[in-house]
Parts: sequence; structure tokens; C-alpha cells
Amino acid sequence: MLRYIGRRILIAIPTLIIVSIMVFALQKLLPGDPVLTMAGEERDPQVLAYLREKYRLDDPIPVQYFAWIGSALTGNLGISLRTDIPVLELILSKLPVTIELAIMAMIVALAIGIPAGIISAVRKGTAVDYTANVIALSGLSIPNFWLGIMLIMLISVRWKLLPASGYVPPTEDLWLNIKTMLMPAFVLGTGLAASLMRHTRSAMLGVMRSDYIRTARAKGLLSRKVILKHALRNALVPIVTLSTLLFGELLAGAVLTEQIFTIPGFGKLIVDAVFNRDYAVVQGVVLCTAVGFIFMNLLADVLYVLVNPRLRHAA
Amino acid sequence: MGREAARQLAPQSNPTRETAPSAPPLLDVQGLSVRFDGAPKGVNVVDDVSFSVSKGKTLCIVGESGCGKSVTSLALMGLLPTPPARIVAGAAVFDGQDLLTLSERERSDLRGDRIAMIFQEPMTSLNPAFTIGDQIAEGIVRHRKVSKAEAMERALDMLRKVRIPAPEKRLRAYPHEMSGGMRQRVMIAMALANDPQLLIADEPTTALDVTIQAQILTLIRRLQEETGTAMILITHDLGVVAEVADEVAVMYAGRVVESGPVEAIFDDPQHPYTIGLMGSVPSLGRRQGRLATIRGTVPPAELMPKGCRFTPRCPFSDGHCANDPPPLAEIRPGHRARCWYAPLELHRGAAS
Repeated sequence: MLRYIGRRILIAIPTLIIVSIMVFALQKLLPGDPVLTMAGEERDPQVLAYLREKYRLDDPIPVQYFAWIGSALTGNLGISLRTDIPVLELILSKLPVTIELAIMAMIVALAIGIPAGIISAVRKGTAVDYTANVIALSGLSIPNFWLGIMLIMLISVRWKLLPASGYVPPTEDLWLNIKTMLMPAFVLGTGLAASLMRHTRSAMLGVMRSDYIRTARAKGLLSRKVILKHALRNALVPIVTLSTLLFGELLAGAVLTEQIFTIPGFGKLIVDAVFNRDYAVVQGVVLCTAVGFIFMNLLADVLYVLVNPRLRHAA
Repeated sequence: MGREAARQLAPQSNPTRETAPSAPPLLDVQGLSVRFDGAPKGVNVVDDVSFSVSKGKTLCIVGESGCGKSVTSLALMGLLPTPPARIVAGAAVFDGQDLLTLSERERSDLRGDRIAMIFQEPMTSLNPAFTIGDQIAEGIVRHRKVSKAEAMERALDMLRKVRIPAPEKRLRAYPHEMSGGMRQRVMIAMALANDPQLLIADEPTTALDVTIQAQILTLIRRLQEETGTAMILITHDLGVVAEVADEVAVMYAGRVVESGPVEAIFDDPQHPYTIGLMGSVPSLGRRQGRLATIRGTVPPAELMPKGCRFTPRCPFSDGHCANDPPPLAEIRPGHRARCWYAPLELHRGAAS
């Protein structure tokens, strides 16, 4: 098992290198000159030259890359061109917000998606199944921003039940923190719940036809046990992988949702950085997100083997 | 009603016959019919099937693929997928209860406890996600008031009984770590763990290597003798039938065409289909000319004849056969055949 994980990590390294090159290159390909943005109205050639020198923007691109990646590896992601705050510090201040939102959204998604998928598989072809499918399809088709706006109008503006926007750190007021995160987590979670439900349903339907389900019933096991133990355990194999990858996507930040609820997470950070041509921040956030995503992939691989005894030996 | 009369007559007319049931049989299936949704009107995949099994005895249901053997056994277990399959008629009285009218809960109480089943496919019949021990033990916990640890102990006993090497180790093994023969032994251990009164074995050796087949069959036989379990063995292997059966029911296209004690079926087959089957068994002794075959194939559902379903392939059939389904009539005590012209030597002497 440890060897398997080690091998997976080794395979992740080239991916990371490629990602870092792409992040760096993308940055260079963006139109616009950050020095001009920084210098503002002032176009004094000396100032521009000084800025270029300071941020080493005149070095050959490979040199710039190695300088950047070298310091990135030591945790130094540069300094925000806009705010002069170290990028790492910016990222670390936003990361907990994004992680909290991702976890809450994932809980919503799993709590809705998996039970709904099981029920609609077991009740296949009945009104329950059709209703669940229609709701899932709606969940997939309704854009997050629209659902978010509707929820704000209804729950915050009309009923005044939950705050419409903003973020309160849990260390300050845990209850208020949960209340502010509830709506954005619901908006993000329902979108994912729909695809989890569809996948759970089809995985369950496949598994329920297998011979070992018949064996379990032949033993006299009650249907609840047949479904929740024998069928679900096998249907979960693809679901675990899917959930992990969905979680990885959530970590990249939910740009639109964070904008609507004005949550200071990764999504908002990167949008602001792109608008400001704050190269260092964009690079840092994208690199961080990519690493997070690769890590979740790694986790998916490991979990896949853990939930699937047939693969343990191969691993 | 004729059936009732026949059954009462049988022991009187031949009281010495061992297979004639004096006590009520353990399982008595009468007129079982199963229909698949979408099949042509009036064509049941299992049609008017009747047989019975006595305590501790072995009934072999014989027939080619698709004749309804497996559907019959799954119907008895209550494991038919509904839809598309529906039981449309019949009764299956097991120890005084009609299996077909029990609630799902009552049936699941019987399943795995008093009636157990072994399936054809050992490779796919065990859950890949759980250990062998867990899968045997959960069936014991379901039906007996025992702790998980006691159930595991019993599971270990069962693995020893089915002669699995290193049973302590195997208890913690996953199905994929075992061969097909070993998995079938596990299935047998699982089925017999609660000492069932009736074991239904649906082609338990078909998917196995020829060398393993004999071992598994011997094992089933030995355990059956030890525990006194009655068995319905579904097979298409007449060699197996000759070896293990007390009673035989020959099925063709969803109907029992002939049934009776094994000696009667082998020594004096009455239905043209059974006669054909016997003729198609290769033997070591006489090797004269080609192996006999039954010409033609089983008609598809939409072309199924109204009368006897064997009509298109039968050398003796006529218009009467094609239009009127013959009853499963008793020709000799305990020996029944579904043919207008049985016994053949009487009706078709010249032809045969």
C-alpha cells in the first residue's frame, strides 16, 4: 500500500512541473504590462526601469521561471504587485474560507445526492424515481448564480432568516459563521448533489443486478441490509472517486458563488487579482489550486484502492 | 383432482416402492406457472410445473438451457426479478406453508434458514467487498440468536466441513483470492450453515473445471447424507442424474414432460423427448455410428405450439399433439409422462 502511494506521488511530480510551467507561461501570455499598471499615471522611464529591475521582469523567461519556482518551493510565492502583501500570506488568509465552504458544500452534496440516488435506484421506474430525476436535472440546469440570487431575495431579503452576504470567521462567532455559509454551501452543494445522485443511481442499478445481490437475498437478509451493505458498498467505489474530484474542484474556489455572497475565498481572490493584473497573486493561487487538485486526485486513487479489496493486492 | 387421486393410489398400488411418499412430501409444487412480461399471450416460461421432494431425498430437474429449470428454482426461492417475471398460477407447499402466498418478510425468514440455494456462477456469486467469513457469518446471525463471534466460529466449522484448506486463513480472505472451485465450496458452506431442510442447487458444477466438478458433487452428496437435507439438483448432465437422483423431473420448454423414480426414467423413458435425451448421451461401450441427436431446436416463444410443446421436433407427433396439450398423466405408479401416446410401445408400436 505504501509503495503504491509512493508510486502515485512520483507520478504526480511531472504533472506538477508541467502545471507550474503552464501557470508561469499563461501569465507571460496575458496582454497588458504589470509595470504600467503599477506605475499608474506616472510614465517616467526611470521608474519603469526600476520596477522592471525590482521584479526582475527583464530577465530571460526561463531565468524568471526558475527564479519563481525556486522561491515557490521554499514557500515564497512573491509579493502582491498591488497590495505589497506576500502572496503566501494572502493565500493562507483565504484558504480556510474556501476549505470551509468546500467542506460544507460537500456535506450538502453527499447528504442529498447519495440517499436520493439510492432511493431512485431502488424505486426505479416509480413516481419517486422520476421526481428525483426531474429535481436532479433541474439542479444540474439551474445556474448557481441564479439560485444564489433567488435564495438571497427570498431567505435574506423577504424572510430575513439568514445574512445575505459577508463572512465571519468561526473563531469570532461560530453560529454567525455557519449562518452566513449556509446559503452559499447549499447553492454549491445542490449542483454537485445532482451529479452525485445520477452517478449513485446508475452505480446502484448496475450493482443490484449482480449475482452476489441474489446470493445476499438467498441468505434471507432483509432488503435494507442487502441494499445498504451489499449493494451500496460496491456502488460506492466510483462514488468515492467522483466525490474526491468534486471536492478538488470546490477547492479551486467557486468564483460566481463567492462573488454573489461576497465571500473572501479563493474565487474572489483570483478574480480580483486577474482584474488588477496582479501576476504574483494569480500565479500563486493557480499553483496552489493545481497542487490541491493533484493532491485530491492522489487521494482519489488511494481511496479507490482502499474501498476496493480486489485492487489491494495489485497495489 | 385426478392428481390427488393419483397420489393416493400410488402407495396402495405399489406399497413396497421406497420412493412412494407415505408422509407428505417436504416440498410439493403443483401447477407452477411463471410468465415474463412481454411474452406472447398464453406462453408461460414455466407452465404448469408439478413435482415433489421428500425429506432427505434428491430430485433432479433435467433439461436443456432455457427450459425453465432455473426460473422454477428462483420462483421457489422468491428470488425472481418481478417485473419482468410473474408467478401466475400454482402452489408450492413447503412443510405445510404455501411458499407462493407468504409475505416477503416470511419468505426471507425461510430463505437461507430452512431453504438454501447454491448458484451456478461461483465467480460472481460472492460479494467482492467482504471477506468469506463475514459473508458466511451474516447468514447465521440473520437466522440464529448468536453473537458475531459465535457465527464466525460456526463459519469456520463450515469451511472445515466443505474441506477448504487453511480455513482460519480463508475466513479472512476475499473472494478474489480464491479459485472457482474454492468459491463454490464457500457457497456450499454458506448454504448449509443453518442446516436447511431443503437445498436447491442450480447447476452447481457447470461453471467449474471438469476435474473439480466431480469433487464438488461428491462433497454436496456427502454433506447431504450427513445432514439429511433434501435436495433439488438442477442439471443438464444425465451422468450426474444417474448418480445422485432419487426422483427425476425432465423439463422441456417450461413444462415437466416426464417425472418419476430415477430407475424408471433411465430404464423405461416414456416421453419422446426423454428418449431422445437418453440417446444423446455418449457412452464408452457402444460406439456405433453417430451420436443420436434430437432434431431441430426449442421453438421461440412466439412460435410455441398450442398443444404439446415438443410437437415440431417429435417423430411421433400428429395434429392432436399440435392442438391439445397433453396432461402429465401417470402411466405407471409414480411415473408420469406428458404425452398423448405414452406408453409409446402401446400406441406407436409399429413406429418405434
